Amino acid sequence: MSTSSSTSTSIDTTIDISREMFWQALDAELAGVPAAPELLHDPFRSTEDYTFFTVRLSSIGRHGSGSYRIAGFLSIPTRQGPHPALLELPRHGSVNHTPHRNERERFVVFTVMHRGQRLADSPYRAPYPGLLTEDITSPDTWIYRGILADCLRAAEFLSGLDGVDPTRLAAVGDDLGVLTAARRPIFAALRVDSLLLTRLLARSSATVSYPLEELNDLRRHAPATLAEVEHTLDQFDPLAHAQTVTARTLVSASADGTDTAASELLRALGDTGEQFAVTHVDGLDADGRDAWLADALGVEARSRFLTASVPLPGERSPS
Amino acid sequence: MTVTATQNPARASITVDRPADFDEYWQAGLDELAAVDPAPLLTLRLDLSTPEIDVFDVRYSGTGNVRVAAWYTRPTGEAPTGGWPGLLLIPGYISDPVVAKSWSLRGYAVLSVAARGKLRAMDPVNPGYPGLLVDTIVDPYSYTYRAFYLDTVRGFDILAALPEIDPTRIGVHGSSQGGGLGVVVAALRPGAVACLSAGAPYMCGIMDSVRLTYTYPYQEIREYLTVHPDHYALVERTASYVDALNLAAQVTCPTQVYIGLRDDVCPPETGFALVDALPGEVEFHAYPGAGHDAGLPAVANEIDRFLAEHLQPVGGSSRREADTSRSNA
Repeated sequence: MSTSSSTSTSIDTTIDISREMFWQALDAELAGVPAAPELLHDPFRSTEDYTFFTVRLSSIGRHGSGSYRIAGFLSIPTRQGPHPALLELPRHGSVNHTPHRNERERFVVFTVMHRGQRLADSPYRAPYPGLLTEDITSPDTWIYRGILADCLRAAEFLSGLDGVDPTRLAAVGDDLGVLTAARRPIFAALRVDSLLLTRLLARSSATVSYPLEELNDLRRHAPATLAEVEHTLDQFDPLAHAQTVTARTLVSASADGTDTAASELLRALGDTGEQFAVTHVDGLDADGRDAWLADALGVEARSRFLTASVPLPGERSPS
Repeated sequence: MTVTATQNPARASITVDRPADFDEYWQAGLDELAAVDPAPLLTLRLDLSTPEIDVFDVRYSGTGNVRVAAWYTRPTGEAPTGGWPGLLLIPGYISDPVVAKSWSLRGYAVLSVAARGKLRAMDPVNPGYPGLLVDTIVDPYSYTYRAFYLDTVRGFDILAALPEIDPTRIGVHGSSQGGGLGVVVAALRPGAVACLSAGAPYMCGIMDSVRLTYTYPYQEIREYLTVHPDHYALVERTASYVDALNLAAQVTCPTQVYIGLRDDVCPPETGFALVDALPGEVEFHAYPGAGHDAGLPAVANEIDRFLAEHLQPVGGSSRREADTSRSNA
């Protein structure tokens, strides 16, 4: 069951009513789970410029449990707010980066660990490989339904914090951000630095590297499930959600146009999308992405590459 | 002996003291390792294997009888005369070890290690991330990272002992933690490692590295010292025992080092210092503008070529995939 909307590109922007009902059901389930946040102060990672916390909060359940405790790192500037805020979405891997000092000094920053990742790995520890295709034969059971709920919960948590400027909220990470921003139109800016879910099945056929290789393992060992897998992935493909993103969105894609899926995502985003032409010289690319985010949130751009050595606490000055 | 180097971009001189009992420290570690039965267990993972590649889940024991893990991939079918060339892959600090199908498609038998604290090896020892770098750092002998190093060395031993491997053609490769610990493995198994390809080498010039970045993992040490400034001398002492610059002089194999000159994770000065400290043949690539990817993807072909020259894979599939896994910290 579907109703169509017009488009000037080759992207199918059909609004699938059953897809919308699926996501509304997820929203409703999440709304029924109190976040119940716990903030544990971390003196090792706090300074006079920011206060750092390890956070635990609840998201939707897994395998019939009523809720699941996820986690995150939260840093809040000590200066007077309101502050621009940054949601760092989880990477694909068992461990996430800890927010960098540059981000802690400029933003309220929250890095979310989805179910199965470190600090959120009890009772479920995500396997690598294995996470990407866990219970993938139905959109209702796929682990990424829960992971998306975790990202949405993180967005709600961050935007609800005292001292956060609601007009200067951004998210960075892979294309989980497209779904997060589509379902929670609270972001002024979104930076998509890499792709995970976009055209996943098609992209997997061109690689033997994990995590995408998990789809090829399924092709070999469970080919009868492929139609169901395809149906699941359709529900989650960022291409199907991009048109509802309101945030100014930067998508990293090669300047030569060889990143076909990223180019598709840019077209699907329409006027909200901008391309970051990746040079594949990552130090320069990192500075360029930071400059875009800084401009979007009204802060100064910073490079992580220091210009000089900085003395350490406790060391004696050279005599 | 003191290793000293001053290099471009020269924000600092990289200086590491070498403890007087440095050799005894590592010999004691190797003795601890030798006293533990590795008890390797390889389990074929049919669900991950392909007609071209067998994939095994590997478990083995390191110091303290701690069970750790690895992935082992090899081309299917009979090994060629003399055996497959072996390749030890060491992951980045927060990275999970890769299931190295693309390497095995090129004709290598590959062990990709998950030392203690990594996923599948975190039940007995779990300092966390962040956490590993400073876990018990006030005591060099009980420092968790020392045992992590030795788990990696044992991974090399496990690979070398497999009957289908040619023991004269085993290389080591990794970037970031993988690059630094590659130096460690080559140093502690001299004569057994045929070649080393090390990107963005971590754990080189440790204390200077902490001064040159606010980025993790080195940031862990700055944070630790912020709370415990009185522990500075203890931290510096432990760091000197595990600093790969102090082990570099023991590396006898041909080595490739590649770095990015804007690397905010592993400062480029420390890559230059490593090259200066390596006594033998070194192929060095430094990429302007590059960060912790250390020249990837451009350097991928150089890595492939270097390893192929020294390890001579044969019978590999023509289906190749560049090493763009960026197993960084």
